[in-house]
Amino acid sequence: MIDPLQTGLIAGSLLLAALAAVYVALDRLADRLLLVVLAVLELGLLVQAVAGTVQVASDNPGVNAVVFVGYLLGALLFLPAATVWALGEPSRAGTAALIVVGLVVPVLILRIEQIWTAPGA
Amino acid sequence: MPEPAERSGRTDVGLGRILVLVYGIFALSATGRSSVQLAQKAEEAPLAYGLSAFAAVLYIVATWCLAKPGSTTTRLAWLAVGVELVGVLVVGTLTVLDPELFPDDTVWSGFGSGYGFVPVVLPFLGLAWLRRTTGSPFSGTPTPR
Repeated sequence: MIDPLQTGLIAGSLLLAALAAVYVALDRLADRLLLVVLAVLELGLLVQAVAGTVQVASDNPGVNAVVFVGYLLGALLFLPAATVWALGEPSRAGTAALIVVGLVVPVLILRIEQIWTAPGA
Repeated sequence: MPEPAERSGRTDVGLGRILVLVYGIFALSATGRSSVQLAQKAEEAPLAYGLSAFAAVLYIVATWCLAKPGSTTTRLAWLAVGVELVGVLVVGTLTVLDPELFPDDTVWSGFGSGYGFVPVVLPFLGLAWLRRTTGSPFSGTPTPR
């Protein structure tokens, strides 16, 4: 089910990681711009979760639906949890935590794609 | 970056912020993975899935205890990360020597090869961080300021 949305989400997450890296390098704290990027990404993940769930319910190519939907919903937890944790310490290290989560989300999306295209894997 | 003073007892600040996040990511991933495995096919590979669940619990305990430093939680963090190190080394070695031992992968199989080998690096980082911020597990844990 890799589609423009997922490609965009992967690109957006990498952008978040790069942006957070720039903030860390410049010793700037997370600001509204970073939060907007986070919110947009989370919204995209929510759309992916809804679209993916509908897709697996209507036209299941033989994937393990529980695992698939589990990943779709689980992917929604990462950004909010990381954001709360990262902002809990307004410091370079706090912002650096956002680099980590920006690199993890693409892995999740690729895994979701893998489950969809290679049932049983 | 406000680096915590050496042996401040604060495992949750500075670089600890990043470490706790990585532990949290593994806590979430391992919990999700093992609960699906146990719920859907527990009888297929009880040992592997039981091990996945055990790893998930360790990651949750380590995440929580590193994030909330205190005399008890810091001791628990030492314990959880120590057991994690033994677990990943033992399971990693066994799965490399005998791939048939666990019919299905766990987070520690092949030293965490399915997770970019982060699982084998993480406990070393965890112990190094605990040592830097809290000294030794036996020397009495400094209380966080």
